[in-house]
Amino acid sequence: MTVESIIHKPQLTTLFGNDVLDRLERLRISSRRRFTSKSRGEHLTGRGGASIEFSDYRDYAPGDDVRFVDWNVFARLNRPYLKLYHQEEEMHVVLLVDASASMGFEGKLERARQLAGAFGVMGLRGSERVSVGSFNSATGAVGRLPPCSGRASMTKVLRFIEQVQPGGDAPVEAGIETFLKYHVGRGIVVVLSDFLTFGDLRRAFNLLFSSGLELMAVQVLGPTEIDPDVTGDLRMVDCETQATLDVTSANDLVDLYQEYRLAFERRLAALSQQRSGRFLSIGSEDELDWVLFDLMTRKGWVQ
Amino acid sequence: MNLLGFHAVANAWLFALIAPLVLFYFLKLKRPRLQVPSLVLWRQVVQDKRVNSPFQRFKRNLLLLLQLLLLILLVTAALQPFLQRRPQRATRTPVLLDCSASMAALGPASDARADAARQTVSRLQAARQQVGKMVDDLLPDEEMCIISFSRTARRRTDFTNNKRVLRKALEDIEIEEVPSNVEEALRMTQALSRNVSFDEVLLLSDGNFPGRAHVQLSFSRLNYRRLPKAGANIGITSLSARRRASRDWDVFVLVEGSADAEGAATVQVDRDGQPLGSQKVFVSKGGEERIMFRVGGEKASTIEARLVPEQADSLACDNVAYLHLPALRSLQVYVSPSLPAYGHALRAIESINVHTEPSEASYDLVITDRAEDLNLEATTRLCVGIVPGDLSEVIQVKEQPCAVVDWSRTAPLLHYVELGELSIMHQPCCREGITDSDLENNGYEVLAHGDKGPLLVQKQEPDRLSFFLLFHSDHSTLPYRVGFPVLVSNLVQVAMQQAGLAEARGLQTGVLGGIVLRPSRRVTVRPPEGAAVEQTTDEGGVLSGVPAPRVGYYRISEGGELWARLGVALLDASETSLQGVDKITFDEELSVAASAKELKTDRPLWPILALLAFCVMLGEWWYFQRGAGGGTQ
Repeated sequence: MTVESIIHKPQLTTLFGNDVLDRLERLRISSRRRFTSKSRGEHLTGRGGASIEFSDYRDYAPGDDVRFVDWNVFARLNRPYLKLYHQEEEMHVVLLVDASASMGFEGKLERARQLAGAFGVMGLRGSERVSVGSFNSATGAVGRLPPCSGRASMTKVLRFIEQVQPGGDAPVEAGIETFLKYHVGRGIVVVLSDFLTFGDLRRAFNLLFSSGLELMAVQVLGPTEIDPDVTGDLRMVDCETQATLDVTSANDLVDLYQEYRLAFERRLAALSQQRSGRFLSIGSEDELDWVLFDLMTRKGWVQ
Repeated sequence: MNLLGFHAVANAWLFALIAPLVLFYFLKLKRPRLQVPSLVLWRQVVQDKRVNSPFQRFKRNLLLLLQLLLLILLVTAALQPFLQRRPQRATRTPVLLDCSASMAALGPASDARADAARQTVSRLQAARQQVGKMVDDLLPDEEMCIISFSRTARRRTDFTNNKRVLRKALEDIEIEEVPSNVEEALRMTQALSRNVSFDEVLLLSDGNFPGRAHVQLSFSRLNYRRLPKAGANIGITSLSARRRASRDWDVFVLVEGSADAEGAATVQVDRDGQPLGSQKVFVSKGGEERIMFRVGGEKASTIEARLVPEQADSLACDNVAYLHLPALRSLQVYVSPSLPAYGHALRAIESINVHTEPSEASYDLVITDRAEDLNLEATTRLCVGIVPGDLSEVIQVKEQPCAVVDWSRTAPLLHYVELGELSIMHQPCCREGITDSDLENNGYEVLAHGDKGPLLVQKQEPDRLSFFLLFHSDHSTLPYRVGFPVLVSNLVQVAMQQAGLAEARGLQTGVLGGIVLRPSRRVTVRPPEGAAVEQTTDEGGVLSGVPAPRVGYYRISEGGELWARLGVALLDASETSLQGVDKITFDEELSVAASAKELKTDRPLWPILALLAFCVMLGEWWYFQRGAGGGTQ
């Protein structure tokens, strides 16, 4: 391999560079609850299993498979003990990307796609089954990539994510519910959205939890949503519904807006934690490297 | 009393503009559109109780409220409100402004800095400021007429509310260094009242005029505002000279001060520009100092006396005086040979030359009983037994005895002359119906009355004083009376005064008259300040009616040739005293008291309202545009 071929190594994806990809391949998604599918995989479950990794001993009970009796112990103690092994099961990684029109502002969708791609890479490199869904229409129709696994699926996953485009006024809770109609499998779900919806997220989060998916909610907000710079009398127009709202002396309301934004984040975090999930809010202008390799590592999302 | 009034109440319909303003506000309020990802948070913010508190509601409609406030202020200004500070309003006000010499007096001196600044303000400037404030506060339906007065009155403007014209007229008023005469101003105001009606007349003066005015007020109110008291003043109030027998002049300088003036001063006297002497005087409060200098009378000369006070002096124009002294000579007297008694009496008097032969020369005194001698040129005449031609129709001399009934003891000719026991053989009789008034109308003043007519009359002409003894003294006991030489001596004194050989007095400001020049000549009179004026002498060569409002030298010339240089000074004790009357009494025993309170005028409020409206507009602009540069659109 020549030096030039190394320098001009083609990019695997437009979402991030190969250097980021190299670092991602060394990371794994860290789940808390070990929601796993019965199919054999690489995630150790709490239950005993048939892997080669020793877990514990227990007394032999009639009916146990004598193949798991530790004969060396029996020879020393003259009592049969059953040798237990860890169960390694497959974990399903679901990536849900909110692609409504509101995500088209200030690079929010771009950052959501990058994060989805990163989680996809980490999932595939961890031999998980990765499926991707995006919703951007009023009816809640979901673009869906069926579960796939293996390193060979990485290109497919990344291409799907790259093609997600913003539009429509699909509420995030409707998109989640629609996606779950077609989803089977336990694991983790990474929801990438701004969560700015008039609907009730509790039902959607409950459905995720009951489906055996550990929720990892990432809120992506634009800089003007985090710190709005508005002044005077304005007529605000919702980009999804085209609804209007007249605001007078908007600059005097910014402090109140911040109170409501932080309260909204705290409510989302509470909703996630109540369902054994996690919540993280980032800005679309935050550095990707910092988010992936610093913030998420410190938060224990990846390791 | 209503404190607030409106001039243009009809403009109240403008308040109806509030309706379209509110309508347009809600119809035309255009807010910039701002597209946001979601209204979720903003809707919660807008629905928050804190946003919907009353104060926040007020803030939401702040623009409308400010616009309403602006409109209300403008419409209220259009109503032309005013703050009524006078008990009664006057739509037309003549303002009589004193500009006499005493109005040039400065305020009292003080060590305090503020008072020191006030000290530099003359009474006229203080009056100007008061009237200027009135002009500034003049309301649209009010008119003012400015009349300045000193010795005479002058109307500066018609009744107008043109502030520019009024201010210009105020600026044009200058001090005239003459005594003031309030009657002239009041008479002019009376004349004005015949054409224009007004209720109140404002008189602004320091009160330095006689307290009694012989005027009948034809207007209901005279508002007499006396200006603040002036500072201490010392000045020359009299400069005169009296002839001494030794052909010298005794020059007298009288220095007086105002009631509160006390201090030293130096009187410097120059003769024809050369110092003659100086003397220090000390004037006590309300006192006077008289000093005398002796001047030789061998030639005509001009005396200039200058007072240099050693302390603050509020009036400068009375610190100088001028006196013109003629060259002293003997009195030239012609006595008719037929009147030896007069000649005999004259010979006992010094410094006179008695002639008994008529000549072409001019005389100072002619005493004759011959009609042909009346053609002799003389400044004083005594015609004995001659009835003047213009009285020959009304007075007839009859040969019957008569006695003197009454005579004027104060007349200079009859000083100390007793005529009571005089017997006269010829009696001048007036025709029936002829009274003293008819004689006075012909210019004659009766000095002695007989049973049926005048015995002695005098006629003052511009260049000549004539006495007519209507009976012949030879036909009376007059020459034998003790009073006869006294009469002749008085006649000589009168002749000396008439010829200017007995005494001289400094010329006063006002009007110069009786200046004898060449007949029918057009001369130029150049005052000490201001433009020269052209005037013509009469057929007798007398120049009269020369206005002299300023102290200083007046140069009279013809074609560049200087004929006379006359020094004119104030020389008025009343003006120097700076005393003011607190009350003016009129003929009908009405009196008007002076008020020293601040002159109150109705104050228009529209400029304040307009200023407030402007401030509201600026505040609105600032409030709504302050963040325009950083706004997110």
